[in-house]
Amino acid sequence: MTEFPITRPHAQVHFGVFFQGVNHTTVWSDPESGSQTDFATFERVIRTAERGLFDAFFLGEGLRLRESRGALHDLDVVGRPDAITQLAALAAITTHIGLVATQNTTYSDPAELARRLQSLDVLSGGRAAWNVVTTDNAWTGANFRRGGYLDHALRYERAQGQLNIARQIWDAFPDGTGAPAGSGSSDGTVAHVSEHSALFEVELDPTTPRSPQGHPIIFQAGDSPQGRDFAAANADVIFSRHGSVLADALEFAADVRRRAVAAGRPEDDVKIFPGTGIIVGDTPADAEERARWVRWNQVTPATALSIVGNIWGEDLSGYDPDGPLPAHDPVVEELGGERGSSTTGARTREIAAQWRALAEAEHLSIRELVIRNNSERGFQGTPTSVAEDLIRWVRTGAVDGFNISPWIVPSGLDDIVDRVVPELQERGAYPTSYTGTTLRHHLGLRAPLTRRTAVGAA
Amino acid sequence: MPSSPFFVGLDADGAGAHPAAAAVTGLSGADLVSGARLARTVRQAENAGLTFVSFADALLPAVPGSPAAARLDSVTRAAFVSRTTTAIGLVPQVPTTYPEPFHVAAQLASLDIAAAGRGGWVASVTRDAATADAYGRAVVGDLAREARDVVQVVRDLWDSWEDDAVVRDVATGRYIDRDRLHYVDFVGESFSVKGPLITPRPPQGQLVVLAADGDVAPAVGSPARPGPAEQLVDVTLVGGAGVSTAIGNAAAARERSPLAGINIEVVLDAGGRTGAERLAELRASTPAGVRSTWDTRALQHVGSAAGLVQLLTDLATPGPDGHRPVDGVRLLPAVLDVDLPVLARDVLPTLRAARLVAAPRPGATLRESLGLPRPANRYDVRAPAAAVSV
Ligand SMILES: Cc1cc2nc3c(=O)[nH]c(=O)nc-3n(C[C@H](O)[C@H](O)[C@H](O)COP(=O)(O)O)c2cc1C
Repeated sequence: MTEFPITRPHAQVHFGVFFQGVNHTTVWSDPESGSQTDFATFERVIRTAERGLFDAFFLGEGLRLRESRGALHDLDVVGRPDAITQLAALAAITTHIGLVATQNTTYSDPAELARRLQSLDVLSGGRAAWNVVTTDNAWTGANFRRGGYLDHALRYERAQGQLNIARQIWDAFPDGTGAPAGSGSSDGTVAHVSEHSALFEVELDPTTPRSPQGHPIIFQAGDSPQGRDFAAANADVIFSRHGSVLADALEFAADVRRRAVAAGRPEDDVKIFPGTGIIVGDTPADAEERARWVRWNQVTPATALSIVGNIWGEDLSGYDPDGPLPAHDPVVEELGGERGSSTTGARTREIAAQWRALAEAEHLSIRELVIRNNSERGFQGTPTSVAEDLIRWVRTGAVDGFNISPWIVPSGLDDIVDRVVPELQERGAYPTSYTGTTLRHHLGLRAPLTRRTAVGAA
Repeated sequence: MPSSPFFVGLDADGAGAHPAAAAVTGLSGADLVSGARLARTVRQAENAGLTFVSFADALLPAVPGSPAAARLDSVTRAAFVSRTTTAIGLVPQVPTTYPEPFHVAAQLASLDIAAAGRGGWVASVTRDAATADAYGRAVVGDLAREARDVVQVVRDLWDSWEDDAVVRDVATGRYIDRDRLHYVDFVGESFSVKGPLITPRPPQGQLVVLAADGDVAPAVGSPARPGPAEQLVDVTLVGGAGVSTAIGNAAAARERSPLAGINIEVVLDAGGRTGAERLAELRASTPAGVRSTWDTRALQHVGSAAGLVQLLTDLATPGPDGHRPVDGVRLLPAVLDVDLPVLARDVLPTLRAARLVAAPRPGATLRESLGLPRPANRYDVRAPAAAVSV
């Protein structure tokens, strides 16, 4: 194993939990798996996370049901609540944990979204965050008044405009008790908000006061160069995909820090929280066996054929999942938007060629190949070894924390809270109690970007 | 006996329904929007046995530039109290004019899930042009058409999942049965929506839709939607300068919706002062330039608790034909902190003792509390006969 230098010997591990919603990685077929929509499931997960002193509870968003070749995709967990509504209900039954709502900038109206987010922030006593996503396509747009009107190249421009309006709305009220002291209007009146740009013509008087943390924390989830620049200029936290291979995570962190500095911010101003999974066992062999079991149950035969069929652009459900990949090339050039964002526009033949090479080199069936592609998903081991791995990740400066997706709900955090957290605490790498009540405090963030007297001031 | 119970709803917005409520109570913007205060108010309303609370809302403040006009989003408020209560209906006002219908449908369905079936919706109309500017959109000219289309597509979206769409069929690997999910393919004059919703069908099937009289017309038949006009509103709320006018309006509204109730603005005698004195003070304290929500077309009761009990008794008591004059009321208290305690102490217990109203049962859905059936799913093609013949 390559050794990476410890650059932050006292850094603490932070945890968030990502309640996935739409996915095939929670094993819904397990008898222990609960409802994916009953409030009780969300309640159990968030209470466990709060007991484990997690910084935040995250909800994702997807604004159209996914399809496979023109029919609704029927293999994955699907059907989730509106994030802000659900988090508001959860706010009332929790006291410390942060509440992160993924909300798309392309299909929302800035004044309304800013108000809803700030409402959650005020009601929760300063625990809200907005995970800004920009997934866009005409296919999703078919559910909205404007349709698929936005050119893909403009999506981060629109995101920036939305955020600028949101900040004006959030900063319009004078600072109240508990809000960070700063440059808020001191005459006791609410500022008028006005934004006139190529994408927005917006004028309003806001109604939402500031919260104890000022306004919602900004998360960003997106990986393109524009996405990273948007985060470097605006975000408090990046929710990244780089949570399995340390060298890759370090490279990503260095890139983000470079971009933050270029944007005029201190290099540690953007916290890095990759999405990841954690599987613990009593012994290394036990953990390995559990991880193998989880991976095989995440990728059912039907799911394996569907994932490969999406790349090949045809129905492969008649193929043998335990047999080889199709001998012919994919019948489509590019992927459409209907399977979600991450692979949109990817070149199918390139992917197929990579997969075929891997399958041939390692003698993998269709299902084994998909499992292999899925398997670099975080951490496994005994509570002790997992804790040590996590600490190394944080102390080499690769990440600030982890956004854990449990492989089963609602019980999937129990092991982590009951077994990994104490190991981290014993090593002085995890808090033993919440020391504040706002998400800004948990994350150790500076004042909001708009409320700093000078860039870099603590 | 009338089949449905007499309902008594309460608007629980901010400091109260009168625009000077915050000024006379001295509540700051931060007090007005605090979660603790909200939870306390709704708990008090639940303990008083009220059928539901509504949360008035608008994107823009009643008094531009005033921190005392602070107000949080209504669905978010309703969701926040969904887990601090167990019986009372939670009914946010959400306008039909500018918000995205797809988001509205998902938000309200999610409220109903969190509230275990106690969700409702006051589908309102936004008439000012300033809101169009806040959205950065052109002013909606045909407000009635927009309201009708939005309520229709939201109702379609709530049905776009059948109740049993999640099948978790381990043998085939299918989590959902795609035949029990439906594209709504709504095409209106100003927008279209594909569907299905991202959120499953809410526990009530359809949330209870309330609307002010005249705001939401029945859906019309069209080539895309043949068949009779569809009623889009469950509870119509009417006003009227006097009691008999209001009763007449309610009788007319019953033609267009299963239930009709009367909005009543109340200013009660309290704290050694008469309602009339309190109202005079409120009038004198009303800030200049207010976009008034008071002195609407609602009926008003300014005076004693006993007088209000008498009024509600008259409205709730069936006549010789066995029918009540109206199905219920929604009370708009001028100042929540003053009027709600009087309602809780001197008005509702008397009505309950006389068996004219009943407190909702913990765990009951709002539909059950209102005596409304749970609707069948419009997309469910299985014949009821086939279902029972198994
Ligand atoms: C860890 C992670 C989580 C994400 N979660 C969501 C989500 O819940 N909803 C969504 O619409 N997009 C989500 N996205 C997708 C991004 O929003 C998407 O990549 C977007 O188009 C950003 O663009 P970019 O990656 O091209 O910069 C997520 C992305 C990442 C990296």
